Amino acid sequence: MTLSVEKARTSSDFWAEFVRHPVAVIAAVILLVVIVLAVFAPLIAPQDPYDLSSLVMRDARRAPGYIGTGGYTHILGTDSQGRDLFSAILYGLRISLEMGLLAGAIAFSIGALVGCTAAYVGGRFEALVMRLVDLQLSFPAILLAFVVAALLGQGKGQLIVALVFSQYAYFVRTAHGAAAVERNKDYVEAALSVPMSGWFVVTRHILPNALPPLIVVATVQVASAISLEATLSFLGVGLPPTEPSLGMLISGGFQYLLSGRYWISIYPGVALIVLIMAINLVGDQVRSQLNPRLKR
Amino acid sequence: MTAPLLEVTDLCTYFEARTGTVKSVDGISFHLEKGEILGLVGESGSGKSITGFSLIGLIDKPGRIVSGSIKLDGRELVGLSEPELRKIRGRDIAMVFQDPMMTLNPVLTILDQMTMALQAHERISDADARLRAVEALRKVRIVDPELKVDFYPHQFSGGMRQRVAIAIALLHRPKIVIADEPTTALDVSVQAEILVEVKSLVAELGISMIWISHDLATVASISKRIAVMKAGKIVETGLAAKVLRTPSHPYTQSLLDALPSRSKPGQRLGAAASDHDAGSAAHPVAATVADPSFVVMAGLVKVFEQKRGFWARLSERIGLVKSKKPVLAVENVDLTIAKGEALGLVGESGSGKSTLGRIVCGIYQPTEGRVTLNNSPVMSAGPQSRKLTTNVQMIFQDPFASLDPRRTIGQSIAEGPIAHGLTSKAEARSYVAEWLKAVSLDPAFADRYPHQFSGGQRQRIAIARALAMRPEVIVCDEPVASLDVSIQAQILNLLLQLRKELGLTLLFISHDLSVVRHLCDRVAVMYRGKIVEVGTAEEIFDAPQEPYTRALLDAIPKLA
Repeated sequence: MTLSVEKARTSSDFWAEFVRHPVAVIAAVILLVVIVLAVFAPLIAPQDPYDLSSLVMRDARRAPGYIGTGGYTHILGTDSQGRDLFSAILYGLRISLEMGLLAGAIAFSIGALVGCTAAYVGGRFEALVMRLVDLQLSFPAILLAFVVAALLGQGKGQLIVALVFSQYAYFVRTAHGAAAVERNKDYVEAALSVPMSGWFVVTRHILPNALPPLIVVATVQVASAISLEATLSFLGVGLPPTEPSLGMLISGGFQYLLSGRYWISIYPGVALIVLIMAINLVGDQVRSQLNPRLKR
Repeated sequence: MTAPLLEVTDLCTYFEARTGTVKSVDGISFHLEKGEILGLVGESGSGKSITGFSLIGLIDKPGRIVSGSIKLDGRELVGLSEPELRKIRGRDIAMVFQDPMMTLNPVLTILDQMTMALQAHERISDADARLRAVEALRKVRIVDPELKVDFYPHQFSGGMRQRVAIAIALLHRPKIVIADEPTTALDVSVQAEILVEVKSLVAELGISMIWISHDLATVASISKRIAVMKAGKIVETGLAAKVLRTPSHPYTQSLLDALPSRSKPGQRLGAAASDHDAGSAAHPVAATVADPSFVVMAGLVKVFEQKRGFWARLSERIGLVKSKKPVLAVENVDLTIAKGEALGLVGESGSGKSTLGRIVCGIYQPTEGRVTLNNSPVMSAGPQSRKLTTNVQMIFQDPFASLDPRRTIGQSIAEGPIAHGLTSKAEARSYVAEWLKAVSLDPAFADRYPHQFSGGQRQRIAIARALAMRPEVIVCDEPVASLDVSIQAQILNLLLQLRKELGLTLLFISHDLSVVRHLCDRVAVMYRGKIVEVGTAEEIFDAPQEPYTRALLDAIPKLA
């Protein structure tokens, strides 16, 4: 007789375990607040950073607490074009989350499907796909994203393509690893002997069972997509200057950093760090709960 | 009479679970004399393994020994501190586990592991440890112990590994060895060897042994005295011969009744004489045989190419190493199964019987030859067009692995019939319910996930899934090998009944000859990829022609 007690994995068990870790709970709350702020940015922000007519050059580079021509207090100050930083950061978080989640979701879908299919088909196809992925993984993600973004030019769509291109390989690798294990299990052979079609077996049997490690990778990759987007925008190959991306805001204040106008770069930077840390801390907890080997 | 070597009185080991206290061992008492082998029999969950763990103080939280006493040579073991227990463990009481692959460290040589075990209890130089290790291996009859001592566990076969595990347990000349299902994972002929060797070792070294097993027959063949456990209690103890011939407890009786070897072939297991099926003749379906060549396997060959990495291929190419030969799993097999017949396929592990079963139901493609069903091929050739008949379905050995853990059992059962037009999405619920009823399960179970079921229930679900495709042929690959004997009896009864009701043709793969004899009309014996003997069940079991078949039959442990 073996002593393995199979644990019923229900979602209520998952949350019960999750709330026992205060750091993860705090991170989750912060993340939730950030998401709410970002989603309702048009309602919360005193100024619309896209509305160029509302910008007044006289208000540029004012310190936090300054009351501008609009008649409201710039609680985080203004940037070099007279934009209210608080409003710009809210819209910036919106862009960061949008880019990160969209790119993450697309890379996830492509990666999961390609990885599982490669594991299912096997043989030459598997070898070819996996060697391509290995080759791509040997280049830093930032380099690939930079090259693709530079080639395609500025714009949201182009940026997403660049982010997906630099990140899908991580998903392929993870999905392939998990799917290769599932591929040889009896239930897959059982479905094949019925016979079920290969597409059905991949999408209904192998993929759902390969999900847990993919979800873990996804949390890490969304955070890394957000920082990649900020980096590219900072370097000027990401979003066009009209978009108040966090990376753009940081780069806009960069030149004033040493002249005492710290707020233009620092506050968007803090917002970026808080967002990425919150995602990573939540992701860490999810990982330790989904991976039985990391359990005490 | 002197006091027994080991005396256990009123031992209780409880586990505190969220749902309440589990009384795994609930007030058991027994004793063990010097030089005696005590058999501890019970089904899984009966507490026999926990008893073993309690004796060596290896009960993990949330479990603990609540009360009772364990006296070794008059010394109380319950309540000893962990350092004191560690001195006893290995030196006075040693343990041998079911799966030697799990208990031997794969990255250390046998010598390393034995040296570690030796140096845990005594100061001994590495050179002396080597001598002791070689000696221990020689005792368990391992050939060339001087050479083998430097091997890693994976270089041994299953039987050899279990011998090594026994050798490690015997290193310190313990007073007691606790063997927890030590032969369950082994082939029947290897098991027979080990049983004989353990018996002579115990006599030679004068040690005592507790032999824990679910298998009444092996226990009966090795131990003089047995104790039968059920739900944490010992329900019966006594001399093996007496307990098995005239069991006094109804549970022991039911365990004996569930053994296929004890009842007439074709008869419902565990059924009293008054049962309505009992009067029916053996192999009731055999008479209806119409088409003698319903399933035809012609010239089947299956070769597995060894997977080699880049470096292996390169070093082979430049002549550094010799090339690995491809494995010939199935070698020129010709077999036919008549319509409505049950053909048993027996052989040891590695004989190719599972591979053959997977070819018949089209999971593997044969390298050569073909399988036809009713004169049409089971799988049309060509790697592109994998058109597979739905007429052959398979039931797998491990009901835990053969159901997708993330789909409800209703989804698992319905997916095939929906894809092949046997039912529609709208009617799937009632279709699934119908088949769940056919295997005596509650139709309301359809929305549950596999982990919510027991092993026996899962195997019923797997059978329902196979039947829902309305096949004519079912390939059963060791369908009861991982189940307890009473559950095994239920599943065998179900298969017998379904076969009769639905006129199924069965290819029944098993290493358990008594199960095959019980269920099958004809038997094919497979050895190293070849069919060595085919005949009716009576011919094979009563008058085997081939020496291999005879050896296989002789290796079955028999009840007193």
